[in-house]
Amino acid sequence: MALHEMNFEFKVDNPKSINKEWSHLGVVGSGDMEVLMEKKDFDGATKVKVVTPVTGFDKVWGMVLEKFVNESSLGDVYLEINDNNATPIIVSLRLRQALAEANNSETGGAN
Amino acid sequence: MSAWKDVQKLSFTDASARERALGIVDEDTFTEFVGPRNKMSSPHLPILGEAIEFDDGIVTGVGLVGKRPVFVISQEGNFIGGSVGEVGGAKMVNTIRLALKAYEDVKEKYPDSYEERLPAVVISFETGGVRLHEANAGLLAHAEVMDQIQNARGKIPVITVIGSKVGCFGGMGFVAAATDIIVMNEEGRLGLTGPEVIEQEMGKDEFDAGNKALVFRTTGGKHKYIMQDCNFLVANKVAAFREQLEEIMEIPFAEVENYRRIGSLKLVEEQFELVKLAAELQPKDSKEMWKYYGNEDPDQLNELPFEEFLKNAKRRERNC
Amino acid sequence: MGIETMIGRGRDAIEMIFDQGSVQENVVEQYEFDAEIGPGAVVGTAKLEDETVTFIASDAQAINPRFNVVYFGVIGMEEAYKMALAVYRTMEVDKDKPLEEKRPIVLIVDTPGNGPGKIEEIIGMNKATGAYQLALAEARKIGHPIVAMVIGRAISGAFLCHGLQADNILSLAQDYGTMIHVMPLTSISRITKLDIERLEELSKGNPIFAAGVNFFYRLGGVEEIVENPEAMRPLIRKHIDSVRELKVSGQAEKLGPWGRGLLGDERGGRVLRKKVIELMDAQYEDIAEKYLTV
Repeated sequence: MALHEMNFEFKVDNPKSINKEWSHLGVVGSGDMEVLMEKKDFDGATKVKVVTPVTGFDKVWGMVLEKFVNESSLGDVYLEINDNNATPIIVSLRLRQALAEANNSETGGAN
Repeated sequence: MSAWKDVQKLSFTDASARERALGIVDEDTFTEFVGPRNKMSSPHLPILGEAIEFDDGIVTGVGLVGKRPVFVISQEGNFIGGSVGEVGGAKMVNTIRLALKAYEDVKEKYPDSYEERLPAVVISFETGGVRLHEANAGLLAHAEVMDQIQNARGKIPVITVIGSKVGCFGGMGFVAAATDIIVMNEEGRLGLTGPEVIEQEMGKDEFDAGNKALVFRTTGGKHKYIMQDCNFLVANKVAAFREQLEEIMEIPFAEVENYRRIGSLKLVEEQFELVKLAAELQPKDSKEMWKYYGNEDPDQLNELPFEEFLKNAKRRERNC
Repeated sequence: MGIETMIGRGRDAIEMIFDQGSVQENVVEQYEFDAEIGPGAVVGTAKLEDETVTFIASDAQAINPRFNVVYFGVIGMEEAYKMALAVYRTMEVDKDKPLEEKRPIVLIVDTPGNGPGKIEEIIGMNKATGAYQLALAEARKIGHPIVAMVIGRAISGAFLCHGLQADNILSLAQDYGTMIHVMPLTSISRITKLDIERLEELSKGNPIFAAGVNFFYRLGGVEEIVENPEAMRPLIRKHIDSVRELKVSGQAEKLGPWGRGLLGDERGGRVLRKKVIELMDAQYEDIAEKYLTV
């Protein structure tokens, strides 16, 4: 019953990476998750690693993440997610917030 | 608008550990140590099937208040109750060590004027103490933190802030008591044994952990303020805590010792007297202590808005 | 030979450890302690191979008549402050003595907890145990050799209070029913929702969460395991001497909580601690200048 790890890779046309070198958002509270994004030279791909106590949702995670990467035309990014039973609404929300944070030039800190 | 300005407006209870850390020091001065990007999460949680966090639930770093480097430890209550394990414990211990290193450095660099650059440590507690999933390492880390607090005595101030939902209990309850100055808001709680455990030990008749008013009366900021177990009570805003910290940094270091509750023979004797008083009074409710210290209508006092409470509350007299 | 536990036998341990007829309760030189106050704490002066020491133990048979959760060796507010006072008086009577002559403090550990009651929370039990720990830490740092001998229960916060601030910690072997833990495995099982068998299996590879003396040993939380009660006296003597030698030769960082951190790494039980500290040190070095020269 160790923690469950999932790895995904996605590729979209004309991908763009994030503005910051890296960025972090969220707290792994119960029903929540954190997202770490790092700019990487992945030949345009986005790689995602999810670590969670929950098993049996690999396919759904894959679809949700693929949709997110497609919609935001993301590429050359490594996304790491530590999840603790986040609900679908929270997953979508945190991903959007994380991306906004990663592209926000005004907030310092993560450089 | 900068993240710092946004954070100032947040309620301290709602802010995350990272927001509290960067918000309590001067604008854009906070640098985190072993932050999320270092991915120093606990290796002990995965084998037990427990979710991990990249910072292991404790944010550490350094910022400035004026010219003074302020070393910050901020616990995240939403991650496994802010519990302290091997990684988070080591971060706490070493933050105080680095502050002491900075102290030696400023003394060497500015032998005649080092006090204006005197480092400080600020710990924002939000924890029940030891993380049970890695209990042994967590326990040993507590002893190390206490050891470093004693190392800091007479050199740099160590300041506690408690303004979170979880409060500060278990082993961290006595770590907080051992620091120089304690700042709380009404929402903060400080103690050793949490309400559920007291109920378990003594029965629901004696202590109903579901009775929120009773829980706050027993260990909440207002009670601790009256008992002199916290030095300053502030409004529930990140800005309010920061402003209080700024004022604390104005206190000449020689006077910091006067804010302590424990840590010397004289102070232990004073506390011993308080225990003797408690043995006589046998208070069943903190209200009895409020009354003893001259607050004739504790219920009414408790109802007062924050500012009014501060004006009207009569506190235990310190005899040293 | 049947093995007899030392749990609940703090006073017997005092007699077994120190020189015959040398034990004086409630006295540290000219200072006397009220025997009625903090009955669960036994403090006083004794000799160990003719050297004067201060001892601090728990009396698990005593009941505190004023605080109704304080018995079985629980450290209540009176007990903790009495223990703290014994340490401060010890420092005071030796204040003019050189490092090598500071008298040792021997902690005899058999305590299941700190006072867990409502009155304790109203008055501030956290201050009481904190006060005792600070006193021990101060005494250790000014040169008193402090050796803790776990004879029975060393449970969680009570062990932090009475034991973990010592220079060196010795523990009677597990066979004697010695208990060092934060929580028994049954409670860990409830919290983690893993069954006991699985947890026992896991703890073989990782000493980090399981209850027991041997696990603490691997983590560096106990310097030495004492095989039987007869060996307590000579080993406490040996540790006092070695602790003193380290202090006199300026190697105090090998002692106390920090020293046990180093030991935990050496014994392979707590290896991440060091990595975290080294990474922080390096990160601080990179930016220190900016913060020190504003």
